[in-house]
Amino acid sequence: MHFSIRLQIFLRSFLLQTGWNYMKYQNLGLTFVMLPFLRHTYQNDKEAMPSVLQRYLEIFNTQPVMASFCFGALAKQEEAIAKAESLTRFKEKVTEWESIKKSLSITTASIGDRLFWGALKPLTLLIALFIWLMLGINFFEINSSVKIPLAYVFCAGGIAFFIFNAISLFVKWQGIKISYDASEKTCFGLTRFDWNKTIYNAKRIGLVFAVGMILFGIYHYLKDFTALDVHFVTRAVIVLFFVMISFVTRKLRIPNMYLYLAAVGVFNIVCYL
Amino acid sequence: MTPEIFMLCVLAALLELDTTYAFQLTFSRGIIAAPLISLVTGDILAGIQVGVFTELIFADVNPLGGILPPSAVICAAVSLALHAMGLELYFAFFFGVVGAILFAVAEKLMRKNRFKWLVFWETQILKTPNAVVRAVFMALATSFLMNFILLFGFIWLCAKGMFWLLPHIPMQAHFACRFAYMAVPWIGLATLIPAFRLKAR
Repeated sequence: MHFSIRLQIFLRSFLLQTGWNYMKYQNLGLTFVMLPFLRHTYQNDKEAMPSVLQRYLEIFNTQPVMASFCFGALAKQEEAIAKAESLTRFKEKVTEWESIKKSLSITTASIGDRLFWGALKPLTLLIALFIWLMLGINFFEINSSVKIPLAYVFCAGGIAFFIFNAISLFVKWQGIKISYDASEKTCFGLTRFDWNKTIYNAKRIGLVFAVGMILFGIYHYLKDFTALDVHFVTRAVIVLFFVMISFVTRKLRIPNMYLYLAAVGVFNIVCYL
Repeated sequence: MTPEIFMLCVLAALLELDTTYAFQLTFSRGIIAAPLISLVTGDILAGIQVGVFTELIFADVNPLGGILPPSAVICAAVSLALHAMGLELYFAFFFGVVGAILFAVAEKLMRKNRFKWLVFWETQILKTPNAVVRAVFMALATSFLMNFILLFGFIWLCAKGMFWLLPHIPMQAHFACRFAYMAVPWIGLATLIPAFRLKAR
């Protein structure tokens, strides 16, 4: 694949999800991303374009970062379709193209969701929280009289942003090339990385950070402890209650936001009583 | 409604595009969007706190498949706008969370209705392939406009309603919202541990 085509696919992939709809999901985005490649491949056969585009406008849905593996693999297969010498061969290649699109989009979505949304996003959040705490920014209770340099404010978010994007942009850029060069035997280059090990390690680090953050929060409440008064006990009970109930709601698949809204309601009732 | 709030809505509507429609470089995360938005309102510390709380409260809902999580940008923008207008942060955050949930519902409706013009654009693309570029940029522009209108409308409604209601709200409600707000980071942190649970390698 030419560098310029790869670059165009990479840049256009940032708009993959524009036009997302419940009918065909990312179909418009996929067509938009692949258009420079299709124009290049069919530059001598412009009449083929409507039928080619028709295939790209069918259902497509995957994780946006990992979608790059689909772009490369589909591009490779599209070249095989364009070079088909007979109608039977052409039909075979189109069927293969459709099955690659379907199977690869499901596999990449599964890996991408677990890695980027399930592990990397919460992990970078915890890293940012630790950086803020190390810089003396206590987000548990804000004190308006304290002046904080702007660099400190954006430092934590910036590092989280950098870590997440360094990995996601690397996967996005390399994914196009790897899947284009790889064969079906290596699952279009997906087996080149040990995704499960990466996810496992990210989660292991995340778990350590999450426990550390809870311990820090407990320390934060205990460090000013002088006497066992009503105020301290109330706060401790609230914190303990919500930590325990969060584990239960997580098991019941009730999102945090509803727990918070329920807390507002329950506290209002308790305060009126 | 000051020009400051107008600017805040424009910035938030732009950042919201990053959630799904464009780039997805995580500009729309609470810890990045809220401090950025707070540059407009001037209360940076409130921006950090709202950003952290927003991320933690929505940490357990991910955009898997067709799932549409509540927007961290909308929550942060509503909370910080109402706080800049004089509402206490614990009240403002409540409206932020409600706003984000309502915005997700509105967004779902928009996505459901988008297939009506999808048929039109598909026909156009088959005629002239370049129409896909127009379709993508039209979708981007309409999404930005809808984000802005919904956000501005919601902040305006909340501001009008709250400042009319505020003198009549009893002290107990203040305590209740403050306690619930205090519990937010704990709710979020406690769900992060099961989120990182190690299943199988």
